[in-house]
Amino acid sequence: MSPFSAVLRKDLLLEVRGGQSTVALGALSLLVLVVLVFAFNPGGGEQGAEAAAGALWVALVFSGMLGATRAVSAENENGCMRALLMSPLDRAALYAAKLAAAFIFMGIAEAASIILMVLFFNLEFDARVMRLVPAVLLGALGFAALATLLAAISSRLRGGDLVLPLLAVPMFVPALIAGVKASAAALAGAPLAGSAVWLKVLVAFDVMFVAAGYLLFEYVAGEE
Amino acid sequence: MSGRGVRLGLGLVAGALMLVALYMVFVYVPTEADQGIVQRIFYFHVPCAWVAFVSFALVAIAGIFYLWLGQQVWDDLGYAAAETGMVFCTLVLVTGSIWAKPIWGAWWTWDSRLTTTLILWLLYGGYLMLRAMAGDSEQGARFGAVVGIVAAIDVPIVIVSVRLWRTIHPAVLVTRQGGHGLEDPRMVATLLVSLAAFTALFIWLLCLRFVTLRMHTRLNALTRSLALAEAAAQDT
Amino acid sequence: MTAALIETRVLGKSFGPTPILRDVNLSVEAGHGAAVVGANGAGKSTLIRLLAGLSAPSLGAAMLFGEPARSLRPELRRRVGLLSHQSFLYPNLTARENLEFYATLYGVDDARATAIEWLERVALGAVADSRVHGFSRGMEQRLALARAMLVRPDVLMLDEPFAALDADGAALATELVRDAMDRGCAVLASAHSASALAELGFAILTLSRGRLVRAEPSTTRSAARPPLARQQVS
Repeated sequence: MSPFSAVLRKDLLLEVRGGQSTVALGALSLLVLVVLVFAFNPGGGEQGAEAAAGALWVALVFSGMLGATRAVSAENENGCMRALLMSPLDRAALYAAKLAAAFIFMGIAEAASIILMVLFFNLEFDARVMRLVPAVLLGALGFAALATLLAAISSRLRGGDLVLPLLAVPMFVPALIAGVKASAAALAGAPLAGSAVWLKVLVAFDVMFVAAGYLLFEYVAGEE
Repeated sequence: MSGRGVRLGLGLVAGALMLVALYMVFVYVPTEADQGIVQRIFYFHVPCAWVAFVSFALVAIAGIFYLWLGQQVWDDLGYAAAETGMVFCTLVLVTGSIWAKPIWGAWWTWDSRLTTTLILWLLYGGYLMLRAMAGDSEQGARFGAVVGIVAAIDVPIVIVSVRLWRTIHPAVLVTRQGGHGLEDPRMVATLLVSLAAFTALFIWLLCLRFVTLRMHTRLNALTRSLALAEAAAQDT
Repeated sequence: MTAALIETRVLGKSFGPTPILRDVNLSVEAGHGAAVVGANGAGKSTLIRLLAGLSAPSLGAAMLFGEPARSLRPELRRRVGLLSHQSFLYPNLTARENLEFYATLYGVDDARATAIEWLERVALGAVADSRVHGFSRGMEQRLALARAMLVRPDVLMLDEPFAALDADGAALATELVRDAMDRGCAVLASAHSASALAELGFAILTLSRGRLVRAEPSTTRSAARPPLARQQVS
């Protein structure tokens, strides 16, 4: 088993064992969606689809920040991060494993969000909802890549929990724009091909941020 | 040529260019047909934007060199560029807002360029907040470098996506062919001079800030040596 | 002449203006051990951190296997073990899973078998499949000991190893460290007092306010062994 797989497997095992990350992410998504329904009081039809798409992505951003913070700070107990840094584990492989874990947690939370979105915004479980999936997955991957890198920084600073949202949100804007547009189009019944440009933006975003994280993680992973 | 002499020279050059630019913007260039006097703010708004983006690139490049070479001078340069760039970025947003109100009736428009500049401003702000939180440490410099690099590679995607999101930046000026809209050659000249003036101003401010940070770094090194010497003296 | 496995040269570390370590020179060769003793705040933990490669020196060098500890190659990191007051264990994993995880991370051949072998060795075989968060402090420390030793390190660093061990645990730790040294492992330990470590044949280095102020060579290693840990005290 490669070290990357060992770390990922360990994180997933810990999660199954009673880590509460996926539950917490799901709960946060639920709450965010509830707040947004009350805030925007959406009608049905076109306007409803746009509001639903937007709400889904707001939930993604908030739960993503929580997910990345947890994936990184899971190593803080008993100094395990130090043990990982001292081991022969390649820093980039550590990043990849943390990214994969965050992505999986986010993916599960997104699935829950999509279901809740359909319920709250009076939509139907049909092909339109399925066409959401590529954009949401790409967005989750991009956000996980971004947030895992930033969470490594914020976890090392006193009072650093402000740093993660402060930097993650503006950096995520391109994917947010593309994701919401693609999702709104999908919910309005447009075929996937029509959102091609938005999906391309998401792919480009993902490639850049995964690569950046992979290369730069070693510079944020050490100690003082 | 002493450092102080260079800085003074830069300051004088910047000052002179700025005076020329001010003259050109307020006296020389003709009033634009559609937007009236307010349009003159364009000659401040655009150069500030140019400077803000260039400065951002500088932060990233300095970050790359810092991570690669490990020399504090690169971090000092990057931090100075971030602080100076932030000033000009704020000016872009302020001038944009002042410009928008009389022309489009709102204090803020989500057109593609202003939106992108807002994102840039937030990224600068995040960087500065991070540096403030991390304090005067090697760790802070490293984190800053990483954030600067990641933010800089983000900016092109922001530009593309925001432009796709919004239709056109409202045409700068009424034009016949839809170019950048500066018909009168005097307008082009004024813009170029203003650009030069703001660039000179930026370089001058950057140098001032950079030199201050270098002195700070040297002071830290001296303090450390002093502490070591004191501790050694106490041993005997 | 054996190259020192653990070495520092004119090592200094300051946090901001405050010097924590100054002009530390020591070296430990294979099969030998050095104990760094001193009061709290003398700089012992910082020294260990610098040698573990977790932190970068302000001055001088901290080296393992002749290379800077901060940028050690993975093949060399595989041969380094650290035992600290932090257990490095995951509370929600079982004892076996913890050991298997670290064994896999370090590229140990048969992770399963190695984990079982070491669980037996530290007398935790009975609780192999219990989660660590239910363990007593003594049990946790024994598991931490197993975790550090199962990779068969050639360099071992101990950060106040006897602080939380009960009598049985201390005896076990002493035995394991002695076995490691017989295997050729170089050991650097930090502690408040030197007693247990002197018994192991460690050279005793005293750290005071960041400087090494006294050095007592080991007295109990047999004559067959080559010269002991050297240290310079200015």
